[in-house]
Amino acid sequence: MRILSVARSFVAGAVAAIAMNVATGASAFAQEFVKVENAAREQLSAPQFVGAAYAFIWLAVLGYVLFVARNLAKTRTEIAELERRIERAGGAPPSGAGGRGG
Amino acid sequence: MPALGRGFSAALIVAAAGFLIVPFKILAAPIEPVMGFVQKIFYFHVPFAITMFVTTFTAAGGSVAYLFKGSERGDRLAEAASELGVVFGACVLVSGPLWGRKAWGVWWQWDARLTSSLLLFLILNGYLLARRYGGPGGKKLAAALSLFAAVDVPLVYKSVDIWRTVHPQTSVVPSLDPQMRPAFWMSFALVLLVWGVLLALRMRLLDARARLAELALAVEDLEEVRT
Repeated sequence: MRILSVARSFVAGAVAAIAMNVATGASAFAQEFVKVENAAREQLSAPQFVGAAYAFIWLAVLGYVLFVARNLAKTRTEIAELERRIERAGGAPPSGAGGRGG
Repeated sequence: MPALGRGFSAALIVAAAGFLIVPFKILAAPIEPVMGFVQKIFYFHVPFAITMFVTTFTAAGGSVAYLFKGSERGDRLAEAASELGVVFGACVLVSGPLWGRKAWGVWWQWDARLTSSLLLFLILNGYLLARRYGGPGGKKLAAALSLFAAVDVPLVYKSVDIWRTVHPQTSVVPSLDPQMRPAFWMSFALVLLVWGVLLALRMRLLDARARLAELALAVEDLEEVRT
């Protein structure tokens, strides 16, 4: 039933589109350029485009710096916590070769 | 930031000074007669695009070191550089359409330069996704993707000379008006410096995470010994 209803809507839409094309002579217009009257013009000025591009770029960079700096601070806190736990347990923290070495 | 070292702090100060000086140099540069004021986007769109290429090659270098020598440090360099490639790529793909909308009247064209740039951005995103969700072999799969990204770079660069596109050709920078050159090169130096600072910062985070994993293993070992 649902398929029939969808098919019926599709056929009705197609008939309406054909009828509109015939009524407006769209097929004839499609063969030539048509002057557009009162077309929407660009609302934003060039400085606004430049400002938007510049703002996006530096906000992206700033956001990235904040993201990395926050994660770095959090990771360093966790490292300090683990080092304290190891020292409390009487062990020595590993040398750190895995942190920097290849 | 004393923990990050003097060199890093100095680079940060120079970058901050650059943020204050470069916009004035860009504004003082002559206005391009055909496109007008919107051409000012060129002064940061192009440096970001070139730096995107630099970071892609850096990532590929790190991936080669990881794939062929098993270098974990190379792998971390590739990860940091690829992530920056995504950030810089986003900047290129946003600033470009903003310029294009005003200069060409359209936000986007599926021409060779724009499409290959989008492809490069997607490959770099693919690298990060493969690392995160690729399972045990994800790091190697990502490293291979990084090499594909590097192969795409010459294609992006030469696409404007090989195919007919709406995008300006590679001859724009070499034939730049001498009065526009100082602003362009200063902007380029600033963007490259910012990239270097961000790469160093990201590498420190990855090193710190590796250290954290190492310590977590040591804690586990100690707890096992105690029980």
